[in-house]
Amino acid sequence: MTSETMTNTAALTSSATVRATTFINTLTSEWVKLTTLRSTFVTLGAGVVLSIVMTAVVALAVGSTWDSWSLEQQTQFAPVLMTMSGNVVLLIASAVFGALAVSSEYSNGMIRLTLTATPRRGQVLLAKLLLVSSTTLVLGVITTVGMFLVGRAVLESYGIPIAGLGDTDVQRLVIGLGVATPLFPVFGVALGIILRSTAGAITAAMGLLWLPQVFGELLPSGPQKVLSLAPQFGADSLTVAHFAESPLYSDPATGALIVVVWLVAFVGGAYVVLQRRDA
Amino acid sequence: MIELRNLTKRYGDTVAVDDLSFTIAPGRVTGFLGPNGAGKSTTMRMILGLDAPSSGEVSVNGRAYGKLPAPMHEIGALLDPKAIHGGRTAYNHLRWIAEAGGFPRARIDAVLDLVGLTDVAGRKAGGFSLGMSQRLGIATALLGDPRILLFDEPVNGLDPEGIRWIRSLLQQLAAEGRTIFVSSHLMSEMEETADHIVVIGRGRLIADTSIAEFTQRSSSSHVRVVSPRAVELAPLLERAGATVTVGDGALIVTGMEAAAIGRLAAQQQIEVHELSTRRASLEAAFMELTQDSLDYQGGTPDATVAETARALAGTGTLS
Repeated sequence: MTSETMTNTAALTSSATVRATTFINTLTSEWVKLTTLRSTFVTLGAGVVLSIVMTAVVALAVGSTWDSWSLEQQTQFAPVLMTMSGNVVLLIASAVFGALAVSSEYSNGMIRLTLTATPRRGQVLLAKLLLVSSTTLVLGVITTVGMFLVGRAVLESYGIPIAGLGDTDVQRLVIGLGVATPLFPVFGVALGIILRSTAGAITAAMGLLWLPQVFGELLPSGPQKVLSLAPQFGADSLTVAHFAESPLYSDPATGALIVVVWLVAFVGGAYVVLQRRDA
Repeated sequence: MIELRNLTKRYGDTVAVDDLSFTIAPGRVTGFLGPNGAGKSTTMRMILGLDAPSSGEVSVNGRAYGKLPAPMHEIGALLDPKAIHGGRTAYNHLRWIAEAGGFPRARIDAVLDLVGLTDVAGRKAGGFSLGMSQRLGIATALLGDPRILLFDEPVNGLDPEGIRWIRSLLQQLAAEGRTIFVSSHLMSEMEETADHIVVIGRGRLIADTSIAEFTQRSSSSHVRVVSPRAVELAPLLERAGATVTVGDGALIVTGMEAAAIGRLAAQQQIEVHELSTRRASLEAAFMELTQDSLDYQGGTPDATVAETARALAGTGTLS
């Protein structure tokens, strides 16, 4: 092996490139990580497709039974809100994607390689957050618009009246929910760093998403005020509240504040943990 | 150049690394020896800025690892070869690391070629054997063409062919003038490859010495001679300059090579039944060495030294 390998190592030495690594390097590197794993495409692809399928199924169920509904039921029905039925699937898939983007590196130990390649740990966190949130934002808007168009087409085919995308209230709901998609993926990234476990991060993110919703239905109005501080209800105060009244929703400004506080708490917590803890 | 100054790492009440100070000099292979659990990996993680020291400091080329502008170009490391995402191909694994350091794609091809993984670069790393993972880990370390390389137990779990490959690679990298810091829990692995050894036991520095000095001690050997005419042979050997003692039904000869003894016996037509060179045991050489450094170190408990010596010399020689 000697002569051949000698030539090879000599060639390596001559092709040296010396320059300080930048944040763009970290961003590119994290993008390569995300796009070279099948789980990324499976998780997000399933999220997008199943969300739209779920909306279509609910719309078909409504449409096919519409004639047997009472007049009261028909007048109370909010068709635009119904088209967002599949949004919950998108929320779950994107939260899992966010958690996996970090937790998989902890479960196999690759995080040490990441932090050796980029010892400025804040850069790693920032790159992951930027990519996870921008990816889920784009896919989120595509999905909510897709859900609306499919749901509307189905309802219209049954002759059920529904506003179009030109309506500003519809825009606020559909685009708003799409834009709000990155919230739980960002929590997923933060929880992945804090808990260092895929199962733990996904469970915690799901708990944060679901528990307030479950208890929100059950509790009397006093405790409901506390639950209105949950991140999902804060976000819904901006995107859904104009369509559906609930004591769980706050005014838009308060809703925005609730979301910001949660984001700062999680991202800040993850940053501190990442900086201080041994990798 | 890597410098450790009073480097200490505590986990609760346990001291994993205890006041370590030594320098890894450039342009040579430094073996980092210690039994499993002696603190080698912890020390390496502190060098790479992964673990923060409880006290003391460590610098790479005069700076903390985290302050290096292009860390992977200055120092490349292989820690745990299995710490990779099994769902990514070897090529894509190297790709994200190359992007992180800003290295061109050509580097990926070059290191894949060097470690002999070009043909399997498109396969998922999760299906790699330990040997292939070690090669991928070494490719990772070499991506940035660093002048310093740090390998944690690179031959662990490898077959003899893999061990030979890593040894010759280390020697080639050293011949190119690179600084190599390689850990092992077996002394025998270091005898052929290292120029210098740093030995730790229970987190404390036990020896920091050249391999020449060490092997000189461990080669304080003797030749065992069994002959029915030993009584005639012994004075002949002594007259030729050897020192002869009798033990265990044989002559124990020092100061003369086995070949010279055999030649002498043949000239005198003395029948010889056994003629074998015995090297002093690694453990003994190690003890001898560390007893000297004990005075200098002042106060590492004998028990730790003895335990370290036994562990390093012990189980399975790979040479």
